Amino acid sequence: MPRITYPLLSLALGLAVASPMAHAAEPLLDEVPPGTVLRIGDPVTQKALEISGLIDELSFEVEWANISGGPQGSEAFRAKALDVSTVAEIPSIHATWTDLPVRNIAYREREDPIAHPVYRFGVTPALGDQIDGLEDFKGRRVAYSPGQAQGALVLRALEAAGLTRDDVTLVELPSTGDVYPVALAAGQVDIAPLGGVNIARYLSQYGDDGARTIDHGLRDDPSHLWAPQEVLDDPAKAAALAEYVRLWARATEWINDHPEEYIQGYYVKDQNLSYEDGKAAVEQTGRQVIPSNWDEVIERHTHTIALLAEATGNEPFDAEDLFDRRFEKLAAEALSEGSSATKKQELIQ
Amino acid sequence: MTLIATDDFKPRAEPASTLDPRRRSSARVRLGPGPAIPFGMQIGSIGLVVLWTLGSALGLIDPRILSAPWTVIEAFGKLIAEGRLQEHFTISTWRAVTGLVIGVAIGTVLAVIAGLSRWGEAIIDGPVQIKRAVPTLALIPLLMLWFGIGEEMKIITIVLAVIVPIYIHTHNALRGIDNRYVELAETLNLSRWAFIRQVVLPGALPGFLLGLRFAVTLCWVSLVVVEQVNATSGLGYMINLARTYGQTEIIIAGIVVYAVLGLASDAAVRLVERRALSWRRTLSQ
Repeated sequence: MPRITYPLLSLALGLAVASPMAHAAEPLLDEVPPGTVLRIGDPVTQKALEISGLIDELSFEVEWANISGGPQGSEAFRAKALDVSTVAEIPSIHATWTDLPVRNIAYREREDPIAHPVYRFGVTPALGDQIDGLEDFKGRRVAYSPGQAQGALVLRALEAAGLTRDDVTLVELPSTGDVYPVALAAGQVDIAPLGGVNIARYLSQYGDDGARTIDHGLRDDPSHLWAPQEVLDDPAKAAALAEYVRLWARATEWINDHPEEYIQGYYVKDQNLSYEDGKAAVEQTGRQVIPSNWDEVIERHTHTIALLAEATGNEPFDAEDLFDRRFEKLAAEALSEGSSATKKQELIQ
Repeated sequence: MTLIATDDFKPRAEPASTLDPRRRSSARVRLGPGPAIPFGMQIGSIGLVVLWTLGSALGLIDPRILSAPWTVIEAFGKLIAEGRLQEHFTISTWRAVTGLVIGVAIGTVLAVIAGLSRWGEAIIDGPVQIKRAVPTLALIPLLMLWFGIGEEMKIITIVLAVIVPIYIHTHNALRGIDNRYVELAETLNLSRWAFIRQVVLPGALPGFLLGLRFAVTLCWVSLVVVEQVNATSGLGYMINLARTYGQTEIIIAGIVVYAVLGLASDAAVRLVERRALSWRRTLSQ
């Protein structure tokens, strides 16, 4: 091997090791440079901003995309078709493992997550009388989506019940559209996490046949804005993201304070649901709050990464790498004093 | 269909040689399908709707799996009253027609090039056959990568879907043109352009029109695929949104619209076909 190769090799190795550390460390610009365009996939906030009129406060151009959630969001990120989107806990972890560098730039949660869970476990009609709690999952077929929030919830529920993955049969099935309620109704899986309007609809359609849902009693509500690393490395886009995060916080506050307008404008007019379904969805969500400190969520993320790493055979990594702390205080500080979206416990501390 | 059915046909009654030759010719064997039944094309479809209605009315069909016809009609009424259906329909029509027009143009040009030159065939035929074998849904991630998530990607997806049947059928018909016409054109010293206009295009027309029949239905069907990606409007979006919330009646309403659109477009092309190919004497008459 020629002599020159060694320095080159070590340089290459050095770069390879160093590159994950090279996240955006530059402070955010105070103003969004003119001509900046942000492509945002956050349909719910978009609607809230439109209905409330807050959308007029955006100082830069936005291209709205009807994309949200892990699978669709990461697909659009890879296609470089989207700058920021909305997501739960798992997809950013999964993206990191599949070489898509992303970071969370905002976080909110439900005020009372145990009383207002995002998901409930649906039980197939035939087993409605046999499965009462998480410990009854033993030996059953459970729908499992490794890259989605529902997947991690399954793992955390098993952990909470003192079961391991070997105690159940995990059926890999993506949770998109109505896949999970249909799989339950058809008896293809015994247990599957259901969210949103699927909970009520599944019970009203198959409750008479024995279908039921059970609560898991775990926090399952993290909601993030996430963006690809390369977008965050662009100072103009990062400044626009900062402005969007502030407005996102105020949209959260507006949804808390204006349930009626939100039901009519979003669920009934935009999503074509009945008023009752919309009201049920709003009540199911409860109030959403934004903490001014991410330590707690990062700690939870650390645990989730460990859990997922074990389940998927991937290398665990530092949860801190998933968060861009430049954005940590922005959302909470954008809220008015005594806002319904401020996380209360923090005020006591 | 009557294959061998004559008035006095009796198996093994008499040896064939004793049959009266005149009677035989008067009761000639008919091999064609016979005269058209009035509204014959609709009988099967109406039967299907009747089965659906009866099944729902008698409680044989679980409404959670297939909504009853009246529920679907109710959903139609609501969608139309709210203006939703018209809105989705307009944008979908724009996407479908734009994709169709571009796709038909490209497909025809490709078919003519591949039909008339060996090099054209060598270069074009393979990729079109590959596209034919690949489902559109599988191409979406790539198309997103190349063309983003806007209207451009949606139209291009429809164009790609439409090119295939137009190309295949036009190319096939073109290659089926009798060599005599080519030789005649050569004898008459026709220019290449005149040859294309006077021999190739009329000769390929039946194939092109058959391809067009596939293409018009395909361009509507493609909507359900393209409108899954970042759409907030269109029939495909309406169906997908209804799927998220388990609103079966809206899903079926959307499917009915597709069926009506597909059949109507097909009927329109067949009308054109009958006019344009009136010189043909075929089984269909």
